[in-house]
Amino acid sequence: MSDKPVIIIGSGHAGVQAAARLAELRWDGGIVLVDQEETAPYERPPLSKEMLKSADPTALSLLRKDTFYRDNNIERISGRPVRTIDRAARQIELAGGVRHSYHRLIIATGSTPRRLDVPGADLPGVHTLSSHADALALQKALTAGSRVTIVGAGYIGLEVAAAAAARGCDVTIVEFRDRVLSRVTSEIVSRHFESLHRSNGARFVFGAGVRAFEGDGRVQRVVTSDGTSLDTDIVVVGVGVVPNQQLAADAGIACDDGILVNPHCQTSDPEVYAIGDVARCLRDGEPRGQRLESVQNAVAQAITATNHVVSQSCEVKTEVPWFWTVQHGTRLQTAGLRHESDDIVVRGSALAGKFSVLYLREGRLAAIDTVDALKDFVPAKKLIAAGAALDPARAADPSIKLAQSQTDIAQ
Amino acid sequence: MTDIRRADVLDPEAPDTADPRIVVIDRDGEHHRLDWEPDQSLMEVLRDNGLPILASCGGTASCATCHVFLDPRVTAELGERCEDEQELLEETESFDTARSRLSCQVERSTALDGITVTLAPEE
Repeated sequence: MSDKPVIIIGSGHAGVQAAARLAELRWDGGIVLVDQEETAPYERPPLSKEMLKSADPTALSLLRKDTFYRDNNIERISGRPVRTIDRAARQIELAGGVRHSYHRLIIATGSTPRRLDVPGADLPGVHTLSSHADALALQKALTAGSRVTIVGAGYIGLEVAAAAAARGCDVTIVEFRDRVLSRVTSEIVSRHFESLHRSNGARFVFGAGVRAFEGDGRVQRVVTSDGTSLDTDIVVVGVGVVPNQQLAADAGIACDDGILVNPHCQTSDPEVYAIGDVARCLRDGEPRGQRLESVQNAVAQAITATNHVVSQSCEVKTEVPWFWTVQHGTRLQTAGLRHESDDIVVRGSALAGKFSVLYLREGRLAAIDTVDALKDFVPAKKLIAAGAALDPARAADPSIKLAQSQTDIAQ
Repeated sequence: MTDIRRADVLDPEAPDTADPRIVVIDRDGEHHRLDWEPDQSLMEVLRDNGLPILASCGGTASCATCHVFLDPRVTAELGERCEDEQELLEETESFDTARSRLSCQVERSTALDGITVTLAPEE
C-alpha cells in the first residue's frame, strides 16, 4: 500500500531520521526519500573532524547501512534535485519533469555555507565545507607545507584549522570578531581554544574582515579589511550557513531566515513540514523563534514531525539542544543556549585543561560548556531541562557532583 | 514508541544458529536475534535494525544515548572503557559498573559472538 506517500526532501541527518522513524511507526502509505546527491546518505560531523585527517580520502560514514532503505520499504530517489513544490496539486516536480504526489511533505534540505560577497570569492582554491565532495576536494588540497588561510573562527573554521595543522599546513585564521567561537561560547572558552591553536602553530588575525581574494587564475592572496595582504595557497571560508529555503519560498511557504514552523514542525501549509537546519521553530515567548544547526536538533525535529504525521500526536518533545566540536583532540560539548547576559560560573581549571563553564540565568542553569569534562555534560543536560537553580559556590567546586549543587532539591 | 518492525522476534524454542548473531533485549523485554556484520559497531547493529537508540552523536562517545548492558564476563573481555565513555556512563542513572557500555565503542570480535545485549533505559 502506498496510497499516502510521505515525501522527504533531503537525506541528511534530519531526512534520514524522518524516513527511519516513519518505518518504525509502520507508516504503510509509502515513504520516499529524495536527494540531489548520488551517494548514500552519510554523517556530516566527520567531514570536518575525522575525515579531513583520515588517510583514506574516500572514507564515508553512512547514516544507515545501504540495505536499510530497501529492508524498510523506503524508496530512495538520489541524484535528482526537486525543482518545484506544487501545493495545490500536492506534488513535487523533479529535475527532468517527473512529478510525484505526496500526502505529506517533509522538507529537510539543510543549509549551505555562506559565501563571502567579495571580489575573487569564486577563484579556484577558495573552499567551503559542507558535502562529502567538498571534504574530498579540501583533503586533497591540504598538503604539507601549503599555506592555508581560514576565514571565520567558528566550529567549522577551527576544525579545519586543526586538521590542516595536523597535515603539516601553515595555518592563518582571519576572524572578524575579537575572539574565536564568539557566537557560541564565552571569553574563557574562546581563549582556551585560541591558545590551543596557537600552540599548534596557527596564527590569528582578529578584528579583520575580508576585502578581496586575489590571484592569477587561482587564489594567491587574501586582502583583509585594513588592507593587509596575506599570501596563501588555499582559503577555507567558514562564516556560517544559510538555510536552503528557496524551494519552500517559491511555493509560497512562509520563510524568514529559515522555513517557519510551529512546534510540530508544520510550515504555513499544514501538510508540509520542515525539519533540521532549514527550519525556524516559532514557540511562545520567542519572538523570532530558533533555527538550530545540530544533529541533535535534526533528529529531535524528525521525530516530532513524523509523530505528528502518523498520529497527529501533539506531544512535543523539547530536548535541550546540544553541540560538540573536537579540535586538536580537545573536546568542547555545549548543552543549552547561552545568553550574553548570563552569569558565569567556572567549574574546574582552564589551566589544567579540564573545566566547565556554567551559564546561570536568574540563578537557574541555562547552558553549559564542558571542555574535556564530559562528566558534567549528562547531569547538566538534565538540570537545564529541569530549570534547576544552582548554588554558584557549590557548582564551582568540581569535587562536588554538579547535581548536588542544586538548591531547590534540599527544600 | 518501541515498536520494532525489522528485527526478528526471537523464538525461544529455536535452536541456536551459527554466529555472529547476537540477542538484543529491548526496553519492553522483547528478544531479537540480529546479525552482526563486519565493520559494524554494536551501536550500528542496533540502529540499522531499527532498535530505538538515538545514537545522536554518530558514534563518537559524546552523548550516551546508545547505552547498553552486557554480561560482566563480556565487558571484562572488552577491556577498559576509554575516559570519555567512562565519564558519560558514570553519570547515567542506570549505570552499572560491571555491565554498562556505550555500544558505539564496541567493535565486533569473535569473542562477542552470540552475546546478549540489553538496551539501557532512556535517560
